[in-house]
Amino acid sequence: MTKRSEHKIETPKEKQNRHKAMEAITILEKIKHEFKEPPKAMEYFYDLYERVHCKHEAIHTDKVKVGTMCIQVPSEIVYALDAVPIRLCNGFYTDDEIGSDLLPSKSCPLVKATVGLFASDNFSDKPDVIVSPTTCDQKAKSGAIIEDMGYSIFDMEFPRTKESEESREYWRRSVRKFTKELSNDLGKKISKKALRESIKKVGLAQHLYHKLNILRKNENSPILGLDMFLVTNAFFFDKIDEWTTAVDALVKECEQRVKDEFNAAHKRSPRIVYTGSPPIFPNLKIPLIIEQSDAIIVADETCSSNRMFNDMVSVDEWFVNDMIDGVADRYLKGCTCPIFTKNDDRKRRILDLVRDYKADGVVYQAFAGCQVYEMEQRSVLEAMEKEGIPIIYLESDYSPSHLGQLTTRIEAFVESLKNRRRKK
Amino acid sequence: MKKIRDFINKADIKRFRFWLQLFFFVIFIYGGYFAINLGNSIPVFSCGYDREVGGMCYFLPLQHQLARPLDVLFSVASISVLIGFVTFLLWFIVFNKAWCGYACPLGTMQDWLTGLRKKLGIRYSTYTQPQFNKLKKIKYIMLAIVILSPIAVGMGLLGGEWRTAFCQICPGRMITPLFVGDVSQWSLDFSTKSAMILTSIGLVFTGLFVVGSFIKKRFFCFFCPMSAMHYIFSDAALLKLKKDGDKCTKCGDCYNVCDMQIKDIADDVESTNILRDDCIMCLKCVAACPEDDALHVDLVNYPIFKSTKGGFVKRMEIEELEKKND
Repeated sequence: MTKRSEHKIETPKEKQNRHKAMEAITILEKIKHEFKEPPKAMEYFYDLYERVHCKHEAIHTDKVKVGTMCIQVPSEIVYALDAVPIRLCNGFYTDDEIGSDLLPSKSCPLVKATVGLFASDNFSDKPDVIVSPTTCDQKAKSGAIIEDMGYSIFDMEFPRTKESEESREYWRRSVRKFTKELSNDLGKKISKKALRESIKKVGLAQHLYHKLNILRKNENSPILGLDMFLVTNAFFFDKIDEWTTAVDALVKECEQRVKDEFNAAHKRSPRIVYTGSPPIFPNLKIPLIIEQSDAIIVADETCSSNRMFNDMVSVDEWFVNDMIDGVADRYLKGCTCPIFTKNDDRKRRILDLVRDYKADGVVYQAFAGCQVYEMEQRSVLEAMEKEGIPIIYLESDYSPSHLGQLTTRIEAFVESLKNRRRKK
Repeated sequence: MKKIRDFINKADIKRFRFWLQLFFFVIFIYGGYFAINLGNSIPVFSCGYDREVGGMCYFLPLQHQLARPLDVLFSVASISVLIGFVTFLLWFIVFNKAWCGYACPLGTMQDWLTGLRKKLGIRYSTYTQPQFNKLKKIKYIMLAIVILSPIAVGMGLLGGEWRTAFCQICPGRMITPLFVGDVSQWSLDFSTKSAMILTSIGLVFTGLFVVGSFIKKRFFCFFCPMSAMHYIFSDAALLKLKKDGDKCTKCGDCYNVCDMQIKDIADDVESTNILRDDCIMCLKCVAACPEDDALHVDLVNYPIFKSTKGGFVKRMEIEELEKKND
């Protein structure tokens, strides 16, 4: 008798992982093969995503992991306490569907996906501590939902206005409190030297990002917007030193590409500034359609990319408390998140990007359910129209449906930009 | 040209400033020993009570001149007053408030006290915004004393000891001569009641000056009438501190390093001329700005020092880290 092979039924977690791996590999393959040859240094990032999202590999095994629910948790402080920050903002449709059962149907897919991941408790790098800044309503409230699942959450109070002196003081206090609690939690004291070093380390990462980003100002942008999103997204979870080394190599390669006048798209491809709800791997749906339609994203104003690296910390006197205050300011004052009462800074930023990166148009994408981005849409559109900058507003979520409609609209927009260019 | 420009923009402004301040300190405090005399219309507090002064603070002669009887003051005889004033303006107009940040001996002394505090590992203190808004008006009251009190003497309303009322209360009068070993100013004048009051206030202010600037960066500049006087004419100056609001992300780095806690430097994205009355033009803000061209110093509309990403990473020692990693 032949031995019957043992038949195993897939567990729900395995199924979830398989679905996520499919989502991940689909987009990766498209980015790798549907465009001109990507920079060789991008291999590191493609491989990283495969390891983490297809093979479910853990990246951090030796350090305490601090899960962050939003961009405002100061990574400088986490690194100074010898822990690693892992940003939990999630882009998987598989997790979004799990989260849908726990949140109102009209919630933001990003929040649903994040909650979904917690509900399934299926992390490749499970965070030991979770920090939830009270930024938008949905994130603030989902902190409590996650806490009910048995995780320990630290709510980091974040002001909703940023102009006033009170808000600055409030946020500084909040960051000081966070530092104290985290340091108690980890049983480590924050030292002057460690904090100074971590400020520089994060500063270097920001500096390299800027170096890479600035290359996109060239008439021939050496790198696709999609690749850029992969690079910045990797900063969510990668080891910072390895990320830095990889980006350094990428910068050098792209500098060479600029010299060789290599264009990642085509000569006449319209240049796009991308703004709105953050594209987070593998939900790079809209950027993918844009670049498939023969446009190229040359700059972005999103919290999964540009906003994460934008403002660097400067300190006058290197005392621990001054450094903490300096770090705090970076995360509040320069932030262009739509949760704030006013959005003049955001409009200024987009306009500046359009001018600086010589863009032909702006794509404004909001997640269906992300109320603040939806609400700001009108005023941003108005500001762009005033300056004669073409802009398109899209609403989307994580689901693979509506692709046809989105593609048609984006293709038409890109086509109109091309016409405009020709007429100039 | 591009190289020179790059070099300047990446310059270590702290060191440059330290040496320049020392240079001016020697010129103004010890100038007499080298037979240097830059006149007596200098727009900084290089105190005339220092017998070796290399160029005198304009306020001492100004007060003496204004104390003339009114009919003399408004006659041809006062052409010298006008000449003094024009000389003051000419000095000022070239460097604007950079006089405060780079040349003023009293300012330099405060920076040295700050340096001492830093060495001792003590944190600085700051004012809250409402305190700031109230306190900043004091310098205009001081300026009023500088101008009105000698005029009142000239009109016969006040006694002669009020002639240089501001000098009597200025900490510069007591501290500056110390550097040439002169302690004669360290006494109370009991000749008249008001002289006694003035010199007592002077003593208190001197104490405050030392303690204050140890705790708070550039404590005295906040109350300085010279700073107020500068501001009145600063629009005409050749050297300007400018801002390009479009480039500003409001990150607040400049405000963080500002000794004078000027909030506008970070928050005002409308003004192009960003010099405020408290500014001492030390240019720390330009050095701390991480955005290309957001802040710049112009000499007659020609930018001579600009904020750059490259300069920022150099000064923050990030560039070093980058090279080490390669």
